Amino acid sequence: MATRRLTRTQQLQQTILYPIDWLEERSGLVGGVKYFLFRKVPGDINWFQTLGSAALTAFLVQALTGVILAMYYQPSAAIDPHTHQPIAYSSIKHITNDVFAGWLVRGMHRWGASVFIILMFMHMGRVFLFGAYKYPRELNWIIGVLLLASGLGEGFTGYLLPWDQTAYWATVVGININGTAPFLGPFLAQFLQGGTYINADTLSRFYSIHMLLIPGAIFALIGLHLYLVVRLGVTSPPWSKEAAGTGPLEAPSQNGRSGLVSPTARRRGR
Amino acid sequence: MPSDRIVERRRVFQQYKEDVKDRGKPFYPYAMFHDTVMSLVVVCVIVALAIIWKYTTPGDHHTTAAGWLGKLYDEPADPGTINFVPRPDWYFYFLFYLLRIFKWPNSVILGTIGIPTIALVLLLAIPFLDVRAERRLLRRPVAVIASILVVLSMGVLTYKGATAKEALGSELLAQVPHWAKTQGFSNNPTAIAGARLFAESGCLNCHTYLGNGGHNLGAPNLSAEGAKNKGIAFQISHLKCPACVNSGSPMPSFAGLGEDNLKKLATFLEASKGGK
Repeated sequence: MATRRLTRTQQLQQTILYPIDWLEERSGLVGGVKYFLFRKVPGDINWFQTLGSAALTAFLVQALTGVILAMYYQPSAAIDPHTHQPIAYSSIKHITNDVFAGWLVRGMHRWGASVFIILMFMHMGRVFLFGAYKYPRELNWIIGVLLLASGLGEGFTGYLLPWDQTAYWATVVGININGTAPFLGPFLAQFLQGGTYINADTLSRFYSIHMLLIPGAIFALIGLHLYLVVRLGVTSPPWSKEAAGTGPLEAPSQNGRSGLVSPTARRRGR
Repeated sequence: MPSDRIVERRRVFQQYKEDVKDRGKPFYPYAMFHDTVMSLVVVCVIVALAIIWKYTTPGDHHTTAAGWLGKLYDEPADPGTINFVPRPDWYFYFLFYLLRIFKWPNSVILGTIGIPTIALVLLLAIPFLDVRAERRLLRRPVAVIASILVVLSMGVLTYKGATAKEALGSELLAQVPHWAKTQGFSNNPTAIAGARLFAESGCLNCHTYLGNGGHNLGAPNLSAEGAKNKGIAFQISHLKCPACVNSGSPMPSFAGLGEDNLKKLATFLEASKGGK
């Protein structure tokens, strides 16, 4: 008897919510995203703390432009019969001069690399000066250092790919320097070159390392890095008068805790 | 029983979590707004750099002319021609220049492997070296001074690496008669041909010779190389595969010059006794 008919608005709501509920029931992803977006961060965080996400943005630009470049770039040192130049070099010229907006995509990838590395260094400096690597965030510092090393590895392997004189000779010397390392050096140099000397295989090997091996590692490390950021929270600036977690640690206040929102709560009792 | 320090830092972190929960603000929209603005700035800077790179490059972009941000591309890689400058991308300049400080063969491995490895290990170890809970800068004098020194030295090394002068083949070629006179091989046409090759083949981008050259990568001064009397055969095999003869040498192979040219170069090197 009491089968009330749903109003149009309710019907509409149900239609929209149905796929979201469906996904949530089967994966819990919606709850995860909600937790990520609506988690609390200290009220006193500032602009310096955007450097990490800025580095992430730069990396995503690299990933996107890299995928587009990979559609046109050919990692071959063989001579192109039409241009009488190496195929890799010709494909870079083709991207720069002929492909629609190719110069823009290549330029973004070339200079995005520099921006990515600068931002990683700045982010690291921020974390260092904020003391944000201290307990319980030591592990995230280590992951960050590995990310920086991987980023520099991307810079080293990517530099060879245009296969011009600058790229070639910088890489020859770079590999030779790797080869001088004790114990592992000669093996590392041989692995990078794909032989005893730098040769045509070196180029495809660098290409594979540059676009599969290291980016895969970087994606995984960024995932871990962000997981730990969400799990452990973001630190307040160390100079903040309302820093989260200072409590009565080094500056005991009358009521035993510092105020995050209202600094006056931390008046010192005499 | 955990030590007092461990108990204390756990308590502080618990306090942190409570403080954030009670009086923090949600990531969305507050922090996310800042992050989004910053990300947009980053993308705009990258696009601007790409535009400047292309539109300040003179010519039709089929040449290798340089704009404000350098060349779009250099000449194609040619393992046969040896005139090159082993110059990495700018963010490796500090490593590149570090190698000038060390002298081959005794301490160059410190510059190539030693210092970078120590720096990486120190960087990884920072959270375990500095275990105090103190985060305020004025109470972390060691950390602050160390970071200023690191930034300064990286900045200086990068700047020096960027402005390191490259020896020009044509200028060096003009020096050949002077070298021949000083070293006393004016009557030896093979040595003079070798000297011309030496000037043209980029050897002086790393090595120094009678006051010319780059002194990169810890490469030695060759003015008195011949005084060691190692012999022409040794010099040729060294030029073909430096690391085979001198274990750990970062010098590239010059086998691409061909047997004739290598012989000329070796004769020139053996004739270089350091001058009067």
